[in-house]
Amino acid sequence: MKRLCLLLVLLLMAWGTLPSLAQEMMDYPSDLTECEVDLTGETINIFHFGDLSGPYAFITQPVVSAVTDAVNYWNGRGGVCGAELAQIYEDTGGSREAAQSAYDRFTSTYGDQLDLLLLYSSDDGELLREQLAEDEIVSFISAGSIESLYGEDGQTPGWLYASNPLYINQFGFFCQFVAASPEVFPDPVIGFVTWPNAFGRAGTEPAAREYCGGLGVEVLAEPQFFLPTDTDILTQVQNAIDDGANIIYTNSLATGPALIAGTLVDLGLEEDIKLAGVNWVMDTTVGLLGQRVLKPNGLPSVDGMFGSMPFLWWTELSHPAVQFVYQQFTINERGPTEQNIAYLVSWGVVDSIIETYVRTANRAGSLDAVTGADIRETVEAMDYAILGGLMHHRFEEGMRDATMNRIAVLKYANTTMSGPATEPGDALLVDGPAGKMFVPIIVPLTDFMPVPQLRGQ
Amino acid sequence: MTEFINRNKRQLTWALYLIAAVAILLFLGDQLAGKKAARIVQTLISGVLVGGVYGLVALGIVVINKASGVFNFAHGWMMVVGGMIFWSFFTVSEISLLGAGLLSSATMLMIMSTVSWRNLREGRNPLITLGGIIVLTALMTVGGIEWQWLHALTGTFAGAILMGLAVERFAIRPLIGQPLFTAVLMTLAVAEVLHGVTQIAWGTVELNLPVFVDPQTNSRFRPIRLDAFRDVLDGVAIVRVELVIAFLLALVAFVGFILFFRYTSVGLAMRATSEDQQLAQSVGLRVRVILAITWAVAAFLASIAGVLQGGAVGLSLNISFVALRVFPAVLLGGLESISGALIGGIIIGLVEQFGTLLNSSEQVGTNLAPYLVLMLVLVIRPDGLFGEKRIERI
Repeated sequence: MKRLCLLLVLLLMAWGTLPSLAQEMMDYPSDLTECEVDLTGETINIFHFGDLSGPYAFITQPVVSAVTDAVNYWNGRGGVCGAELAQIYEDTGGSREAAQSAYDRFTSTYGDQLDLLLLYSSDDGELLREQLAEDEIVSFISAGSIESLYGEDGQTPGWLYASNPLYINQFGFFCQFVAASPEVFPDPVIGFVTWPNAFGRAGTEPAAREYCGGLGVEVLAEPQFFLPTDTDILTQVQNAIDDGANIIYTNSLATGPALIAGTLVDLGLEEDIKLAGVNWVMDTTVGLLGQRVLKPNGLPSVDGMFGSMPFLWWTELSHPAVQFVYQQFTINERGPTEQNIAYLVSWGVVDSIIETYVRTANRAGSLDAVTGADIRETVEAMDYAILGGLMHHRFEEGMRDATMNRIAVLKYANTTMSGPATEPGDALLVDGPAGKMFVPIIVPLTDFMPVPQLRGQ
Repeated sequence: MTEFINRNKRQLTWALYLIAAVAILLFLGDQLAGKKAARIVQTLISGVLVGGVYGLVALGIVVINKASGVFNFAHGWMMVVGGMIFWSFFTVSEISLLGAGLLSSATMLMIMSTVSWRNLREGRNPLITLGGIIVLTALMTVGGIEWQWLHALTGTFAGAILMGLAVERFAIRPLIGQPLFTAVLMTLAVAEVLHGVTQIAWGTVELNLPVFVDPQTNSRFRPIRLDAFRDVLDGVAIVRVELVIAFLLALVAFVGFILFFRYTSVGLAMRATSEDQQLAQSVGLRVRVILAITWAVAAFLASIAGVLQGGAVGLSLNISFVALRVFPAVLLGGLESISGALIGGIIIGLVEQFGTLLNSSEQVGTNLAPYLVLMLVLVIRPDGLFGEKRIERI
């Protein structure tokens, strides 16, 4: 494991743009608002709870590591405007009841201190939407569902703010990409093979079908569902293909996309059927788990999978935000399995929490005087490049989710590390716990562009 | 008429089953008529093979129930722990001598002290214990990565035995003579403890377990394509090799356990113990030892299932939920029936796959159909298809 970590580090360092990290500590990349008040003696608490030991644990656990590292980073530099940072979190194991009791405990224990809460899952967002509004607590979430962010009618913005575009908007954006790439996707028909929860169903709504249909991209009305515990999903994949799909779209994580890709290879359809998905399919776990099955051309089954990438990625080391997070990741000796979306984005979330508190405290005069309504006012007035550009924070005119996205493709690095491998002989292989491993990379295919707004249609 | 019914009750019951089966098949036949033969054959193959995996998981639950009457809710987490132990030995090129020695020592000490801790000092037992530790440690550490299978199988064997014996010794044994429900609740607590242990020891990240890898291609075994039947089936059906291996292993385990329970003294003692632990003890059966063996065997079965499932889809905490999906198979086959576990598993596998084939939109296959079948069978046969009819004397 250590060897794998070392080799991945070497790979990334050799990417050509990484400054001499070992020699000097990088400056914090954000353009943070200057402090106008001295908050010495006060504490900015970063409250969060969610599934750290249940079905989503493999993707969420690095949240704690990233927040811990960020808190230590700031406290080691005298805090934020003199205020110490602290992390207060709970593991709910993915249980609705546990999420509710964690919320009750947080609100009863911390009372007025709890103005801003970080949540992980759409389900928790939907559960707490009304309570957050009633208690006037702002919540940052990675990618909430329509109901959690905009209510049942899709038109009532609440107190939750998502750093990713809505999944339905991500899907609509993918349809735009498909329609604009007829040489890659001739006569496109998209079939959903996806998880059955709120996250998995996002994008299967009639509004998305209509929107994509208008672009000349047919979307099958019948989604195919599978569970994270399924051993074999041949039936679901074949159902979609029999119905005419030549693109399979999935809202699933880790083993989900890898299982679909492996099934396509088993059926000998890896070249005929394209695979795509929501931003989570681009995660490191998919790139590693997708190596279990190789295509006949010798590259991993998920090589060439399309997905949303609404933030910068680890391999975009020319950007100071990624350089900085990567340096912190290395300094804190985090393992390769933590080098995923959650670790990267959580540093960004902490940055936006800090900026939010600084701006609000500047207005209110002290942290004690800050209320949830003040925080909300700040958030809605902000136009902020998180960590100088990792993500963008702009929630004007009732928006509750990010509006910019881009499409990327999952590939594997070549031996010269100058781009993606085209065949196994050309691919970079490193020693990993399961033998030789390909090194996954993300290749952006489009610039950041506005996503279509499909909610409430 | 009544006399006729009473005299031919068995035949009439089976006739009713037959009519119900024909009616269902006629209904399904109409639905299936629009499907290609290749899809139906494929669904049949997938159903049977996935059902075999379910059967293997169900077997571990049934073995515990058959011997102790306890429904083990910790079985899913035993699968996870067993799979993780296998992964630890399978993917590490240099096994720590200290770690292997500690695991071997703990396992041997637990085995040799099954009757009592004093047993460790008696006769040649210290020598046997030491010998066992040396042999197990040597098997876990000999050679390099090329010996990974030997390391992993030995390590998993030792780890599973240790886990089973520890659960029995510290969680189940103190409850001998207490209501069964207490022991069932204890298995829920054990599940949470194993959950915590897994998180601390291995974290929560998905792990790749490359046990079904073809050394020629360094990829998972290619499935067998039934190309020869392409014309007949109007398409190609495939058979996934790793599921065939899992199915064959399940069959071997089933035959072994059927023979074990029927023809060995330990197997017979296990069955007697499950009837009444105190009575069994009073006639000289060593209930402690029997329960210990049962839990060790079940933990080993769970570990095998964990390795097979982890090899097929990846090792994660989600594997524990497979045991929940197997509960209908266990109840369908009958809580104490070894063969019922396999048949229940295959039936549930088939029902899931055909349900998905015919109506995939709202998870009819996985969420609805298995439970409908289970309800139907339990209404007709409350003890499951092959369960023992219990007569309570008051």
